[in-house]
Amino acid sequence: MRLLDLLGLIFYNLSRRKGRVALTAIGVVIGTAAVVILVSLGNGLQRSATSQLGGISDLTSIMVFPQYEEQMAGPGMSVSGPSTVKLLTESVIADITAIPHVTAVIPRDYLRTMSVINYARLEAWANVMGVGAQDVADLGYTVKEGVGTLERGTAVIGEPMLRNFMDPKMRPGQEPPEPPDLLDQQVKLVITKYTNDGQEVRKTVQLRIVGILKESRNEGDYSLIVNMNDMQGWNEWAIGKRINRAREGYEQVTVKVDSVDNVLAVADSITALGFQAYTPQSAVQGVSNFYIIIQVVFGGVGAVALLVAAIGIANTMAMAILERTREIGLMKAIGATNRDVLSIFLGEAAGIGFIGGLGGVGLGWLVGQAINAVALPYLASQAAQMGTPPPDAAVYTPLWLPVFAVVFATLIGLISGLYPALRAATLVPVVALKYE
Amino acid sequence: MDETNAYIRIRGLRKVYQMGHTKVHALDGVDLDIPRGSFTVLMGPSGSGKSTLLYLLGGLDRPTSGKIQVGEQDLNSMDENALAVYRRRTLGFIFQQFNLVSSMNTLENISFPMRFNGSSSKARHQRAARLLEQLGMEKYTRHRPTEMSGGQQQRVAIARALVNDPPVILADEPTGNLDTATGFTVMQMLSDLHKEGRTVVVVTHDPRMARFATRMIYILDGRLVSKEDYDQAIATQE
Ligand SMILES: Nc1ncnc2c1ncn2[C@@H]1O[C@H](COP(=O)(O)OP(=O)(O)OP(=O)(O)O)[C@@H](O)[C@H]1O
Ligand SMILES: [Mg+2]
Repeated sequence: MRLLDLLGLIFYNLSRRKGRVALTAIGVVIGTAAVVILVSLGNGLQRSATSQLGGISDLTSIMVFPQYEEQMAGPGMSVSGPSTVKLLTESVIADITAIPHVTAVIPRDYLRTMSVINYARLEAWANVMGVGAQDVADLGYTVKEGVGTLERGTAVIGEPMLRNFMDPKMRPGQEPPEPPDLLDQQVKLVITKYTNDGQEVRKTVQLRIVGILKESRNEGDYSLIVNMNDMQGWNEWAIGKRINRAREGYEQVTVKVDSVDNVLAVADSITALGFQAYTPQSAVQGVSNFYIIIQVVFGGVGAVALLVAAIGIANTMAMAILERTREIGLMKAIGATNRDVLSIFLGEAAGIGFIGGLGGVGLGWLVGQAINAVALPYLASQAAQMGTPPPDAAVYTPLWLPVFAVVFATLIGLISGLYPALRAATLVPVVALKYE
Repeated sequence: MDETNAYIRIRGLRKVYQMGHTKVHALDGVDLDIPRGSFTVLMGPSGSGKSTLLYLLGGLDRPTSGKIQVGEQDLNSMDENALAVYRRRTLGFIFQQFNLVSSMNTLENISFPMRFNGSSSKARHQRAARLLEQLGMEKYTRHRPTEMSGGQQQRVAIARALVNDPPVILADEPTGNLDTATGFTVMQMLSDLHKEGRTVVVVTHDPRMARFATRMIYILDGRLVSKEDYDQAIATQE
């Protein structure tokens, strides 16, 4: 029997029993829709969870710190054992840069003493960060106004930081001042240190603000970012001696990786070099694993619904074979092989699964859209309250899911039809022909 | 006996049905030769084993013992697949209940066997249309079985049996569900098939069919008997 004839006959047999086929397929429709909706829901939850994490921190960066403690110094081991202190020196930075997929290694340093920013009558406390890069963009920061280049005597400031400027002479009840527009303005950074005999010493530095960072829920929001050389000079003044980077290394470096997929591998390589590496991606990975479990559980619930549908298909096929016993006998009498009969009935069962699968994908998609329409505004308002970016979908259907669902439903049909079809195929023709 | 050059050779054929604890000997050692191109009528009372013999000959069931040879083909040595091919190529079946598929129209019913032999749908359609024309039934091309008389349905069934142009036609009481006149036409049609050169075997218990036969076979309780023995047995029964 040619495949085309087989398909034609299967289609014919299904279409002449439309009502029965439709009723049986409804079970499959519901099961498939359940699988599609539940897995999409799990997927949507995962996406909004990871996108919120991603919003908080840049997923392609790794923070690396020196290893000061002696590694493996377990109980019973001498405290004065061989030192395994690992410092972030220039040569180490070169080693890290050489790791595949690393696009940039950016040293960072912080002001090791107190400081305050003055502008006109306003002042603000700031996280002063020195960055060893040409531009803040290298760190993954986005500039809202101005430029991000880091030169001596200039600085870039986070936008939310502007709202921190206060008038120290402000009386209670007085309106707080408008956030100043600092772009291309000179600000004073007043650095304070104490000498050994308790004397307070101040140093005032003039800085021109060349860029304002877009609010992005990361460290940059509340930072004043300056050139690394400026930072080193101020720190040397604060501690009263020269800093030798070749010997002491950096406090911290940020390693940028070409893609999120490679972040964990690069972090592992850095840990293997003996440093402490922290990556937001490992948190994201944990969240992903959690949601994969949720999707599997949800998918399992849907699969149970499909199993119930499978019993319906098996029942319908068994009925069909009883009703069409004489027809089976006739088909054999006019030359159908056992395999032809088997293929026809298997095909009909798979056809019911396929039709139900298509319907289920359609229904699942519709319900998913409805859930999105209802839930998205709510989720968005929740996100706004928590200060996280709004999710793009509550229910998200990945492309593979409908394809998988239809194939799965068809397979379910095929398996359900296996026993009835085998019985039909092995009927003795005479017995089938005499069946009343 | 084995050296006859008959087309169909049946030797020592037995079919035993197990009914609970009792055995029913539907066929109890049948030897029969059927020449090529003959019109054989198999006559016997109800339950004598006529249908059983015909279906064994048609490869629709397996004998308990014995041998059936059709041309060069030995049915015992064939597997299910080979039997299906044998039925498809060599045989055309005609049944008492017509066995048309009720959801198919006349054209579809006639061409149904061709779905299993790989013919194109165009070839199927042409062949079925030709047969309908030969039977003078073009008017009924789109009719369903339920929209036709018994005689018309049996004519459609005959056309279906002919669609693969088989050398052998097996008919089990083809006139059993028809009135005398219609039954007569159907027998006439079968006789025409015989005249075309086909080997026709018809099972019946209607003695009037004898006039079409080139050969009469009588069966009583699963055994072939002579006409004299048969007539005597029927007479004593009444
Ligand atoms: N599947 C079966 N199981 C048990 N007994 C059977 C079976 N098929 C046929 N028989 C028995 O075998 C015998 C012959 O049956 P068969 O159908 O060949 O008779 P027949 O000559 O065709 O009769 P009729 O003219 O009524 O059609 C009968 O006694 C019948 O009861
Ligand atoms: Mg019979």
